[in-house]
Amino acid sequence: MDPLQKTSTWIGVALLALTVLILPMVLGALWIKVLTSAAIFALAASGVALVYAQLGLINLAQIALIGVGGWIALRLNYATDLPVTLLVIIAGGLTGVIGALFALPALRMRGLYLALVTLMVAALAQIFFNAFQFPNGGEGFWGVAQKSADAVRRPGFAQSDTAYFRYVMIALGVAFMLIGLHKSSAPGRAWAMIRQSEANAMAAGINVTFFKLWAFALSGFLAGTSGALLAGALGQLDARSFLAGEGILLFALAVVGGVFSWLGAIVAGLLYKLLPAIFNDLGLSADIAMIIFGAALMHAIMTAPEGIAGQIMGAFKKGGSDD
Amino acid sequence: MIEITDVTVKYGGVVALDSVSLKIAEDVVGLIGPNGAGKTTLTNAFSGFAPVTDGSIVVNGTNLFDLAPHKRTRWGLARSFQKVQIVPDLTVEEHLKAVLDGKGIGKAQRVGAISKALDFVGIGDIRLKQGRALNPYQRRMTEIAKCLIGGPRVVLLDEPGGGLSEAEMQHLRDIIRGIHPEFGAQILLVDHDVDLIRDVCAATAVLDFGKLIAFGPTEEVLADEVVKTAYLGR
Ligand SMILES: Nc1ncnc2c1ncn2[C@@H]1O[C@H](COP(=O)(O)OP(=O)(O)OP(=O)(O)O)[C@@H](O)[C@H]1O
Ligand SMILES: [Mg+2]
Repeated sequence: MDPLQKTSTWIGVALLALTVLILPMVLGALWIKVLTSAAIFALAASGVALVYAQLGLINLAQIALIGVGGWIALRLNYATDLPVTLLVIIAGGLTGVIGALFALPALRMRGLYLALVTLMVAALAQIFFNAFQFPNGGEGFWGVAQKSADAVRRPGFAQSDTAYFRYVMIALGVAFMLIGLHKSSAPGRAWAMIRQSEANAMAAGINVTFFKLWAFALSGFLAGTSGALLAGALGQLDARSFLAGEGILLFALAVVGGVFSWLGAIVAGLLYKLLPAIFNDLGLSADIAMIIFGAALMHAIMTAPEGIAGQIMGAFKKGGSDD
Repeated sequence: MIEITDVTVKYGGVVALDSVSLKIAEDVVGLIGPNGAGKTTLTNAFSGFAPVTDGSIVVNGTNLFDLAPHKRTRWGLARSFQKVQIVPDLTVEEHLKAVLDGKGIGKAQRVGAISKALDFVGIGDIRLKQGRALNPYQRRMTEIAKCLIGGPRVVLLDEPGGGLSEAEMQHLRDIIRGIHPEFGAQILLVDHDVDLIRDVCAATAVLDFGKLIAFGPTEEVLADEVVKTAYLGR
C-alpha cells in the first residue's frame, strides 16, 4: 500500500469509529434516519464508482439493482425465518448474479452505448416495480397485500434506529474493505491491465470477460446489499424510489463525490440524501439540491476528475510529507 | 519448433498477411520488412488479436488458434507491444504479478520469479516504482520482464529497440541473447535495426506487402538481392 492509501485507510477506520460511537449521541432521531439512508446509498454508489473507476464503464442501472436487492430481501423476509444479516448477504449475492447476467450482453459496449443500454434496463425495472410493487407480507409469489401485514425484520441487536444506523455503518465499512481488498489483489491488477487496453490484458493472460463480469457482479452485490438494508431501514419499499432518473443521479453523484476512493461514495451518499434533507429542514425546496448537483457535476467534469474526495485527499497529500 | 502454415489476415480490403508459411527451429529468429509489411500483424496472429481467415500456428504440437487469447499466454506465449503497454498506476512489480495471477503461480514462487525476471533485465531496484514514473527505457524493460515471467515458451518482441539510445541498445542486445539460455523460450524478434537483427538472430524472415519473400540464415537473407530492393532499398 502506498502511504496515501494507508493514511486514507486509517482516516476511514477513525471516521467509522467516530460515526458509529459519537453521532448517535449528538443527533436527533430524524437525522439518524437520514444518515442511515445516506450510508445505504453510499454503499450502492461505491459499486457504480468501482465499475467506472476500474473499467471506465458507465452504469446507470444501479438504482434498479438496489430495487432488485430490496425486492429479494423483502420476499425472503416474509417467506423465511433466516437471520437478517444472512438475508442481506443472500440478497446481495443474488443481485450480484443478476447484475453480471445483465452485463453479459453489454460487455462489448462501452461509453455512450453502454450508458444507454443500462438506462433502458433501469427504465424496464421501473416499469416492473410499478407493476408488481414490493412484497409487504401478502400472499403468493409477488407477496403484495392491500395493507402491509408484518414489519420488516431487523437484526436482534439492531432494533432501534440508532442501533440500525450502527449496523449499516459497519456494513458500509465491511463493503469498503471488500472493495479495497479487490483493488489491491488479482482483480485490481486485472482491471488495471484491462483499463490500459484489452489486448494488453489478454497478452498478460487475463480473462477479460471474466474480470469485467466480476466487476459488475461486485457492483451488483453492493447494490443488492444496499437495497436489502434499505428495506430494513424504511420498513417497506415504494416503487417510486426506484425511478430510472434516480439511477442517473446516483451515477452523477458518484462522479461528483469521486470514484477513486471510498470517501467519494460517502460524499455521494451525503449529497443524495443529506443535502435535500437539510434544505427541507431550512424550509427551502429540495429542488435546490438538484441545481447544486448540476453545478457540482460541471465542476467535477471540468476541474476535478477525482471528485470532491480527490480534492480532500489532495489537501492531505499536500499537508503530508513528500516521500 | 514454430510452424506457421498458410496464415492469412485481412483487414477489410487490405490483405495484411497473405498465406504466410514458415517453419522456425532456431532459438532466436528475426522478422524484418518495410513499414506496413505485416510484422505486427503476424505477432497479433500469434496472440489472437488479428482477424485470421485461414491457416494455423503450431508450436511444439499445440495449435495456438485453438486457444482463446488469454489462454495462449497461460500456455506460454509472451509478447511485447510495439507501443509499450505500461499501466500508470501499477508498480513494476504489479505488472509482473498480473501475469502470474493468470498463470496461477502461488505466493511461494512469486518472489523468486519476480526477482529473477527483474534482475535479468536489470531493473530490480525499481520494483516498487509506479508505471507513470518510469522512463522509456524502464518501460521497455518492464515490458520485457513481463514476457519472461512464469515460464514462457515463445517470446515475441515487437520492435523492442524503438527509441532506445546506443548504450541502451547494447544492453538490449545482451538481454535478448540471454533469454533463451536463461528462460528456455524461443524468440521472434521484430525490428527495423538490421545491426540488432544481425547480432542476435541466427535466422531471419522477411515480409513485404504481407508476403514472405525470404527466410534463412540471417547473413544470407540480408545479402539477398530481392530483400535489398524490397527492404533495404539501397
Ligand atoms: N487494426 C487494423 N485495422 C486495419 N488495418 C490494419 C490494422 N492493423 C494493421 N493494418 C494494416 O495491415 C498492414 C500491416 O500492418 P502491420 O502493422 O502489421 O505492419 P508492420 O510490418 O508492423 O509495420 P511497422 O514497421 O510500421 O510496424 C498495413 O497495411 C496496416 O495498415
Ligand atoms: Mg509493426
